[in-house]
Amino acid sequence: MGVINRRKFLEIAGLAGVAMTGIGKIPEILGSEGNAAATMDLAVVHNSDPATLVRTAIDMLGGISKYVKKGNVVVVKPNIGWNRVPEQAATTNPEVVAEIVRLCKKAGASKVQIFDRTCNQAKICYLRSQIEKIASEAGADVSHIYQQKFQNVSIPKGKELKSWEFYRDAIKADVLINVPIAKHHSLSRVTLGLKNMMGILGGNRGKIHNHFDVKIVDINTVIKPQITILDAVRVLMDNGPQGGNLNDVKQMDTIVAGVDPVAVDAYGATLFGLIPGDLGFLKEAHSRGLGEINLDQLKIEKANLKA
Amino acid sequence: MLTARRISQVLFLLLFLYLFFQAAFPYETLIPSDLFLRSSPLIAIATFLTTKRFIGTLVIAIIVLVLAIALGRYFCGWICPLGTTVDFGDWLSKNFRNKKSNPSRKLRTWKFSILIVVLVAALFSVQLVWFFDPIVLMTRTITTAIYPVFAFLTESTLNILLSVGIFQEPLFNLYDFLRETVLPIEPLYFQQGTLFAVILIGILLFGLVARRFWCRYLCPLGALFGFFSSFRLTRGITVAGDKCIDCGKCQRECKMDAINDDFRSHSRIECIECMSCITVCPTDAISYNLRFKFAPDRFDVSRRRFVYSSLGSILTLGLIKTGFHSVIKAGHVVRPAGALPESDFLDRCVRCQECVKICSSTGGCLQPAMLESGWEGIWSPIVNARHGYCEYNCNLCGEVCPTGAIHPLELEVKKKMRMGTAYFDKSRCIPWYRGEDCLVCEEHCPLPDKAIKFDIREARGPDGTTRIVKFPYVDEILCIGCGICATKCPVEGPGGIFLTNAMEQRWEENGMF
Repeated sequence: MGVINRRKFLEIAGLAGVAMTGIGKIPEILGSEGNAAATMDLAVVHNSDPATLVRTAIDMLGGISKYVKKGNVVVVKPNIGWNRVPEQAATTNPEVVAEIVRLCKKAGASKVQIFDRTCNQAKICYLRSQIEKIASEAGADVSHIYQQKFQNVSIPKGKELKSWEFYRDAIKADVLINVPIAKHHSLSRVTLGLKNMMGILGGNRGKIHNHFDVKIVDINTVIKPQITILDAVRVLMDNGPQGGNLNDVKQMDTIVAGVDPVAVDAYGATLFGLIPGDLGFLKEAHSRGLGEINLDQLKIEKANLKA
Repeated sequence: MLTARRISQVLFLLLFLYLFFQAAFPYETLIPSDLFLRSSPLIAIATFLTTKRFIGTLVIAIIVLVLAIALGRYFCGWICPLGTTVDFGDWLSKNFRNKKSNPSRKLRTWKFSILIVVLVAALFSVQLVWFFDPIVLMTRTITTAIYPVFAFLTESTLNILLSVGIFQEPLFNLYDFLRETVLPIEPLYFQQGTLFAVILIGILLFGLVARRFWCRYLCPLGALFGFFSSFRLTRGITVAGDKCIDCGKCQRECKMDAINDDFRSHSRIECIECMSCITVCPTDAISYNLRFKFAPDRFDVSRRRFVYSSLGSILTLGLIKTGFHSVIKAGHVVRPAGALPESDFLDRCVRCQECVKICSSTGGCLQPAMLESGWEGIWSPIVNARHGYCEYNCNLCGEVCPTGAIHPLELEVKKKMRMGTAYFDKSRCIPWYRGEDCLVCEEHCPLPDKAIKFDIREARGPDGTTRIVKFPYVDEILCIGCGICATKCPVEGPGGIFLTNAMEQRWEENGMF
């Protein structure tokens, strides 16, 4: 059983590896699909309604049906890591998550799964973040992590990590949509899309924090979400990744979405006034060909829907 | 009547289990999960004696006790979850029981000796009720042994089925359902669970000697009810002497060996109103009624026994009170937030593990102590910060404490209540000894302004190269001692940061009820 899954996964990983060799050519790959809108790398939208933000951003990226086909199993991976309420901006905005779920369902997804390996007790985080309730109402299967579903995956391109435990459902999904929330983080300075992928990891994750910049990129060489939607509706500017103080939360009413996870993070860094190239993990990701961090190399389309 | 009693037993056991499951996050329940503990008159009286003050929440226990004047030991026969468990154990072991063994009725006074020991000790501020109270015993054993084992075996079975590889979908659905209802989200581990299980199994094994052995000879709560029912004002079990044919079936049937050899009278101290005798009587000579009758039973607890029990108790409590841990700074035990000052805390704590149970559904820091705070603190809740942490947004342990040993704090008060202080072990902390970044502790620190800060400095690695490293340190002013830093520290074995009770705050009572 496990063998088949793993083999299947390795195929995917291999393909991903092949894709990775087309370093920096992601725009061209997208362009080859012949969709005019897809020549854009990043969609940056401002609006006070989270659902409108999501819809607009995904439309700008070519529409949800470009990514989610009928019958697909979709995994939406928000950040549900902490026992915090949405206003504290430590967990992904539940309205953002719910709208993604609704779009996937509309596109014919057979199943939209949501889970996260939390830092505080899972039941409390699922409840307090409101993601369990609001996303379930939108039609998602919100489930807790099963220890049994972690499987060891080798990381052929890993520098520090040669293998790690990944969550099977995230690996096996037809479509993986990463929905991080933009937050301050003392170690990596900011936590965005690449770091949000830690939520599908098993094992002693604390160990990843040591040589973090290299290890987080190692992880992201074997798992690549089809879309990354960065929730910057409320941004935690300091004392992240948990926050707690509402004075540290800045209302930005923004979403940054794209296919290139590194590009999304690079733009996300600018929300904090940082230069992408100054962030270790982004520099590392770029140098290893995971994506683009030079914003002037990217085609960014902005939509300000503010009335 | 017999059927009614059995239904009552099953219902009360189910209620007990239901309340047990209720003791979990988010704890939105109409019935407090410590209802049974609050109903135990033994806990009420012993805690009244240790604290020398009336505890408002134990009113219900006095009502339960006073009812014995009308209804005898109804609690033992109809309600007590341990009594029901013992009945079940006796039923299982009925074919293995030594029919010839006939323990002397004199042994029945043991339970009064135990009661005297408990109450005399309580008078001298040593809480011993926790070893013997049947409600405590059940709560503790279910929390630390039965429930974790049930969860472990259920999950193991599911895992075996899942590894077969077919029916994965329905199996995971079942798994989800069980986790929503009875299984914990994360596996449970408690120290001493085995010991508590062995104690319960021992009580059940006594069933091989005699039915309801515990209730007959040992239970001090039963003794307390027996004492009150000896003064009862109603008839209860009544025998129509002219109908009785001296067959002795009732005496053989009686679980409590309460029926005297004339088959026409019984010990009202022992009878638990189980109604079995009524059912077996071939001539319907036995009936039950609550008409007025006052004829106090003679007590066969001699003055000598009373004195010896009291002396034994005083000697024991002397030893406990002069234990080493009473004088050294406890140093290494961290108590839950809201715990009273140590001696008041130990006066009140009945070691029921309700707090441990509810904590296991959130941060999971509480464990029953072994000898970490001496004999006096045995089985009391202590924080093991390497295993779990005190959830910042949680105040549930105080909510479920039946005796107020942990004061129920408003959440905003609890967030500021200081359990202790964390310290770095710089010989184990990754940035300090290896010169590499980590900061997992800082990431998890739940305080809005972070009690773990860091300096950014240059460090020289073992290979001679230098790099910029974030060196964490604890802000002693801000730290509340929740211990999550110690729990999440990725260093294997002893962590790079540990929790102590330094600068702990205790809830000071202000002399009210």
